Amino acid sequence: MTKEIIDAMAMQRALTRITYEIIERNRGINELVLVGIKTRGVYLARRIAERLQQLENTTIPVGELDISWYRDDADINDREKINLGVDVTNKRVVLVDDVLYTGRTIRAAMDAIMDNGRPASINLAVLVDRGHRELPIRADFVGKNIPTAQNERIRVNVEEIDGIDEVSIG
Amino acid sequence: MSKRYLILADGSIFEGEGFGSRATTFGHIVFNTAMTGYQEIITNQIYHNQIIVFGAPTIGAGGINHDAYESIMPTAKGVIVRDVAEVSTNRQKRMNLNEYLDYHNIPGIAGLDTRALIRHLRKTGPQKASIVDFPDEHAFDQLNATVLTNQQVAAVATPRAYPNPGTGSTVVVIDFGLKHGILRQLSQRDADVTVLPYKTDAEAVLSLDPDGVIFSTGPGDPRDLPASVIELMRELQTRVPLLGIGLGHEIFALANNAQLIQLPFEHHGTNHPVKEVITNAVLYVPQGAGYAIDPASINHDQLIVTHLDLIDDSIQGLRHRDYPAFSVAFFPDSAPGPLEGTTVIDEFFDMMETKDRF
Repeated sequence: MTKEIIDAMAMQRALTRITYEIIERNRGINELVLVGIKTRGVYLARRIAERLQQLENTTIPVGELDISWYRDDADINDREKINLGVDVTNKRVVLVDDVLYTGRTIRAAMDAIMDNGRPASINLAVLVDRGHRELPIRADFVGKNIPTAQNERIRVNVEEIDGIDEVSIG
Repeated sequence: MSKRYLILADGSIFEGEGFGSRATTFGHIVFNTAMTGYQEIITNQIYHNQIIVFGAPTIGAGGINHDAYESIMPTAKGVIVRDVAEVSTNRQKRMNLNEYLDYHNIPGIAGLDTRALIRHLRKTGPQKASIVDFPDEHAFDQLNATVLTNQQVAAVATPRAYPNPGTGSTVVVIDFGLKHGILRQLSQRDADVTVLPYKTDAEAVLSLDPDGVIFSTGPGDPRDLPASVIELMRELQTRVPLLGIGLGHEIFALANNAQLIQLPFEHHGTNHPVKEVITNAVLYVPQGAGYAIDPASINHDQLIVTHLDLIDDSIQGLRHRDYPAFSVAFFPDSAPGPLEGTTVIDEFFDMMETKDRF
């Protein structure tokens, strides 16, 4: 049985709050770059960028990151350097993902970003933090903390590809 | 019923039928465009010392109900309507508007051309007015000689602290003459609330270890409040998640070096379209404001404009750039009014939930 735990309104509100928090934390948006982790993190990153555009009238670059080759269960010799599509050197990077779970995806994403340049800082924004970390990683911006059991499944839907904004647990 | 008169400081006279109390009163005149919610409006303490003109043609059809009070003692000085409903059929009705106003010694005038009056007020702006038995020279002399207090908050805000317990987030409300709607919104979210007088100092607030602080709505011009209120805001906004509403929004702006301007005519109604800048979404919200923030005075390194009125572009919401502190000019408790604005209260609770991350 799946149960909706964040509806469309609450998701919008969470993204809005995260956007304000990014401004607060960075004392502005200078040198800011958003990097979304594929697939849904990219759409969330774009929505945050749209909000920043509305507020500050500035276009913030959004990079896209597919971490498949950086997974810790992939062979490092197969690894190809990923083109993020944005320059991260000396930038303040905000990584955006839908769900923070073990932390392994984020570790891979940080490796991939570092391979592209040397950012001034990396922050992490996630829509849902479900716990059960296996690495020492924490998010700076969290839409909602949702305590879960290991065998539960968190599903994030975004309107752009799923037709609906919703987070459900099952 | 007998003839009674509304006289304005500019010399105009409007004739109608008296209802409610027979008292002669003086107050600032304001008009409200709300179609419903007269009980909440009359009992809202922002109307302290004000004579309220309702733009909707018939007022009073729902009577007076137990669940629509925004304060215990209404302190408005008069109610002007086109038509006062004699029959109210709401099953929750306890008394009709006429009886209620009489009980609280508030005079009313019905049968007056409220559309002409409102057009007149839109041109002439805020002014003193009086409800009298006869509009002679003596009445105008009395009106002109009357000095209305600028210490409205002192008259309606709580002089001592009181609790409104819950089992959730701890919220301190600094009271400037709050609407009960704010407390109801907090109760719905199970907040553990302490309401403090506005002359409280920051230490007393922080000693309660609040998750968040609200600066409430209230009457009058915030520049007439003691300077300690501005200091309180400056101190608290750096320490704890903070929401300013109505008068609290104006205090938030002043504390962050913005300036106020008097609106050419006040905004009072329940259907004002407001744009949330960050999402471009439109909210319909209840408003009750005589002042707005001067857009030219905003230091954009300090404040972000979050909400704009779609009718006159006036600033309806602000947020601090460096702290989790924000404010709205409109009434997010939506009492009365559409419920869309209550998302502001949800935002405040989200903010309190995540405050420990910083």
